[in-house]
Amino acid sequence: MALFAALQTTFLLVLLPLGTYQRKVLSEPRPLTPESLEVSINSTCQCLHLQWSIHSLPHHQELQMIFQIQISRITTSSVVWVGNYSTTVKENQILQWSWESELPLECATHFVRIRSVMDDARFPKPRSWSKWSSWEEVDAQDSLGHNALFVFPKDKLVEEGSSVTFCYVSRSNLNNVSCYLDGEQIHGEQLTPNVSTFHLSHVRYKRTTGTNIYCEMKQGRKLAGTVLYVSKVLEEPKNFSCETQDLKTLKCTWDPGSDTALTIQPSSNYTLFESFSQKKKVCEDRNWCSWQVTQDSQEMYNFTLMTENYLRKRSVNLVFKLTHRVRPMTPLNFILENINSRNATVTWKVRPIGNSTFQCQVELHHDGQVIQQNNVFIKVNGKYLLSEMEPDTHYLARVRCAYGNHFWKWSEWIDQKFTTLEAAPSVAPDVWRNVRSLPGGYDVTLFWKPLSKSHANGEILFYNIAVESLDKSSKFNLSIPAPHNDTKLTLNKYSYQIHVTANNSMGTSPASVIVIPGEPGHKEIEEERVKGTENRFSLSWEPQSRDAIGYVVEWCDHPQDPLCGLQWQKLGPNTTSTVISSDAFEQGVRYNFRIYEISPGWIASLLEKKTGYSQELPPSDNPQVTTSSLTSHSFTLNWKDYSTESQPGFIRGYNVYLKSKMEQCTSGFERITPSDDSAGCRHKIDNPEQKTFHVENLEPASSYEFFVTAYTSAGDGPNGTFTKVTTPDEYTRMLTHIVVPVILCILLITVLFYFQIQWMKEKCYPDIPDPYKSSVLSLIKSKENTHLTIMNLKDCIPDAIEVVNKPEGSRTQPLGTGKPLTETELTKPATYLYLLPTQENPSGSGPCICFENFTYNQAASDLGSSGHVPVPPSTPPSQLGLLYSPENLLKALEKYYTNSLGEIPAGETHLNYVSQLASPMPGDKDSLPTDPPVQAQCSEYKMQMAVPLGPASSPPSEDTSLSSTAILDQGEHYC
Amino acid sequence: MPTGDSWGLLACLCTVLWHLPAVPALNRTGDPGPGPSIQKTYDLTRYLEHQLRSLAGTYLNYLGPPFNEPDFNPPRLGADTLPRATVDLDVWRSLNDKLRLTQNYEAYSHLLCYLRGLNRQAATAELRRSLAHFCTSLQGLLGSIAGVMAALGYPLPQPLPGTEPTWAPGPAHSDFLQKMDDFWLLKELQTWLWRSAKDFNRLKKKIQPPAAAVTLRLEAHGF
Repeated sequence: MALFAALQTTFLLVLLPLGTYQRKVLSEPRPLTPESLEVSINSTCQCLHLQWSIHSLPHHQELQMIFQIQISRITTSSVVWVGNYSTTVKENQILQWSWESELPLECATHFVRIRSVMDDARFPKPRSWSKWSSWEEVDAQDSLGHNALFVFPKDKLVEEGSSVTFCYVSRSNLNNVSCYLDGEQIHGEQLTPNVSTFHLSHVRYKRTTGTNIYCEMKQGRKLAGTVLYVSKVLEEPKNFSCETQDLKTLKCTWDPGSDTALTIQPSSNYTLFESFSQKKKVCEDRNWCSWQVTQDSQEMYNFTLMTENYLRKRSVNLVFKLTHRVRPMTPLNFILENINSRNATVTWKVRPIGNSTFQCQVELHHDGQVIQQNNVFIKVNGKYLLSEMEPDTHYLARVRCAYGNHFWKWSEWIDQKFTTLEAAPSVAPDVWRNVRSLPGGYDVTLFWKPLSKSHANGEILFYNIAVESLDKSSKFNLSIPAPHNDTKLTLNKYSYQIHVTANNSMGTSPASVIVIPGEPGHKEIEEERVKGTENRFSLSWEPQSRDAIGYVVEWCDHPQDPLCGLQWQKLGPNTTSTVISSDAFEQGVRYNFRIYEISPGWIASLLEKKTGYSQELPPSDNPQVTTSSLTSHSFTLNWKDYSTESQPGFIRGYNVYLKSKMEQCTSGFERITPSDDSAGCRHKIDNPEQKTFHVENLEPASSYEFFVTAYTSAGDGPNGTFTKVTTPDEYTRMLTHIVVPVILCILLITVLFYFQIQWMKEKCYPDIPDPYKSSVLSLIKSKENTHLTIMNLKDCIPDAIEVVNKPEGSRTQPLGTGKPLTETELTKPATYLYLLPTQENPSGSGPCICFENFTYNQAASDLGSSGHVPVPPSTPPSQLGLLYSPENLLKALEKYYTNSLGEIPAGETHLNYVSQLASPMPGDKDSLPTDPPVQAQCSEYKMQMAVPLGPASSPPSEDTSLSSTAILDQGEHYC
Repeated sequence: MPTGDSWGLLACLCTVLWHLPAVPALNRTGDPGPGPSIQKTYDLTRYLEHQLRSLAGTYLNYLGPPFNEPDFNPPRLGADTLPRATVDLDVWRSLNDKLRLTQNYEAYSHLLCYLRGLNRQAATAELRRSLAHFCTSLQGLLGSIAGVMAALGYPLPQPLPGTEPTWAPGPAHSDFLQKMDDFWLLKELQTWLWRSAKDFNRLKKKIQPPAAAVTLRLEAHGF
């Protein structure tokens, strides 16, 4: 038995290693070809779904195998994808695998084949691949139907930024098909004769209803389309946080990001999952969710917020202790109590959370600024005293609380506005005065500045003015309602003490005291110039007395205005300088400052006067200059009326500019080098009070131009025009001294002659009497001799004209027409000359009518042996009127002859007459200067005789001498 | 004028006055007939035409291009179930009042159902409000047509069982085809409203003769 046992053991010992070896080193089985390969299509995911099996697994074991899959498109040779799939294979197991195609599977025929290899460590390497399975063809186009046109994929949903390929399948010619993406035509790539593909990269979200893609076949109005839904990428929730107000409910909030809703895809929903309690809640809102805290005193919470849409899932996690996420509710019953001018008490309540205390923060705000902040710890009721507040001031008090056991977040604020009560004004008003002397008194104008809000402590209602005479016991009060800030008092010449107080509803301010002395001092104080900078003046002064209680600087903001805008600044007793600044200061305006010293008796006495400009400007106008004392070498300029006080700067002097044609400046002037040619020489006057200037050393008979301008520290006045001055010639003056008196004398004489002209006329050339008005007419009438009458000019009918002085005929010619006589005329010994001058004769002397004088009628006939009277060769044309021209003459003669023959009685034909005569003109050219002029214009009654040409015309011939002499004798009346 | 003529004229005038209450067009106290209902229906049709113009613009923009492009005229692919408003002119003229009203009533009954389906699908609240408002108005038009038919004594067409249109696209129905159907629904609705305005205008003229004609007849009878 024992031997049997030993043999058995030995046998087992021998067999065991053999068995082990046999398990470790198996011989390589022959490769297993996949069988029963089936391929199906899932259009929604564009997937090829493969399933196959492996039959006759060796040893009926599980084997690790690798399957290699090859996918071809259109033809088996065009492999589009090769990949391995590793899995554990059991006996008769149906294996499945899917492949997602980028191209919609309806667009082309696909072929799939598969082979395998052992991947088990139990089989020795190298391992060989099995044979390929046969190609499995998948053609989705077979089941499309009978439509002429298709577009794939249908209703595709992708994320923003993805790439999409789609195609159309046409049953006819591809050339007729056009495709559009949201109305815009797109162009694709032809895949097969009836399929074209389009690849879209980085597609963008357009609208919830998707992007429309459609293809249109022109012939037959065939149209097919699809909708590409582009979803926004689902974002991970941000700022995920949970908190509780009462340890009963948690409120979790987050920022969901963009909504990914499409018509094909609803908005992503959010789910809260708590891992400790394994509870889940689907949230109704996209950005917050409430969570009911269980009563089993769960302290820790581990929340996962999950969200998903059709394309993506997102989640965030949050772990916290409940009591560390307590944010109390807003405090309640916030009340302000016992409000006075400085203090107030605030009270509030909080909703209790267990037995916890609360930390509360009380803030006091004024004008939007936090002025007080305090923390208090309370149980349920809170109370805090707000102090150190200003009277009559608006404040805002607010409070918030936090959980006392663990600070997480403050609650919301609760606030309330309030105003503190008023208090009496705390300081005396700042008062100043303006004193104007009157006969027997003063006009005192009191000014005071409104109290600042911090000093007024409420609304100032009125100002009280108490005036007390220091010399005699009289006192009166005035009440000036606010907001007036001045009042005028008329006081006698006594000393007065004036108290000014401001009053509000709560009381009176301290008094401001001012004393008006009865006898103001009349101290002459010299004005000192100060220089300002920007909007400020630095003033300093010398104290006069040691016991001064203060100083006052007074000035006017608007010195040019009648109201002046009086300003003052009160300074302490130890101050001897200050800076006066004001926004009202303007450049170019002179400001006068008066510095007063206030004595212990509140009497203000003038200490110093200052004047200056914040910024000086050049003069605004130039002097109006007049010239005087003009000589050939000098002249004087004057501008006495120029005001130096009303200028926008201190006038420092004047610049006199002088221009001349001379290259050198006159003495006292310097040449300036201007940018243009206009300027010349300049003389600078440094004394602003010197308003006259004598320009000398000038050239006679020269032209100069001058221009005078004032200057300040800022420069010259405005540009002006130069005035021209011409110096006279040296002889001109002398000539003027002679010529002017002479002209004056002539004028005087002329005037005298004018006034004495009647006298002269009477003496020299009296009026010719009018024969028609002569007394002779009455004589004639008295004799009743009706045949006797005054001969009229028209009655003078020359019957013959005889030339009595021929040999010197050439000389007589100029007296006539001025036209030289022809030789024929000159050579005739004695011929009749023209009776009348031609038109060329310029002479125009007055008429000289010869009247028949009965007195000398007979004598005349005696003198002339015949009726032919010699006539001078020329006669002034005007003397004959219508007989001026030869034609008129002939007509006149004819007429007169006719009249005479008809009118004159036969017995009177003997009447002796002569024609008119005229003497030669005195201005005749041919008249010799020595010849006395012959006046032919003036005549009195004379015998009507021929008048000779005059002695100057020609030497009298022997034939004419007698008669000429006789006539001259008769003409003694000429002047 | 002879005295006998005056009496004759007075007698004629009295006769006319005696018969005046009997003239239907002038009888203000009796039944107004279908005239006012037709007028109201016509007015409502015009109002809906105006309302639809605004709604269609909004909805087609919501669908996106090319549906909102003015010259987009797709073939009527899946919209065969929609009642067609277009009809041959001679056929339309030859329709009697009953048939005319019945066609209108049936068309709007169907269109209203489709429109409600459209409303359920709309994604935006504002669009849903607009569609709901329009559906209410269209319901009013349907009631108005029913009123006219009742006034004229025509029975309302009974819907055949199982023919109630539903908005349930088949499995092959793609979203693009759905958009095409929506497009055609709005287009057909617009055409139907236009056609209805013509129908009711024609009916209005037929039922309610103008007052001038009444006066002429009165003159002919009286004198």
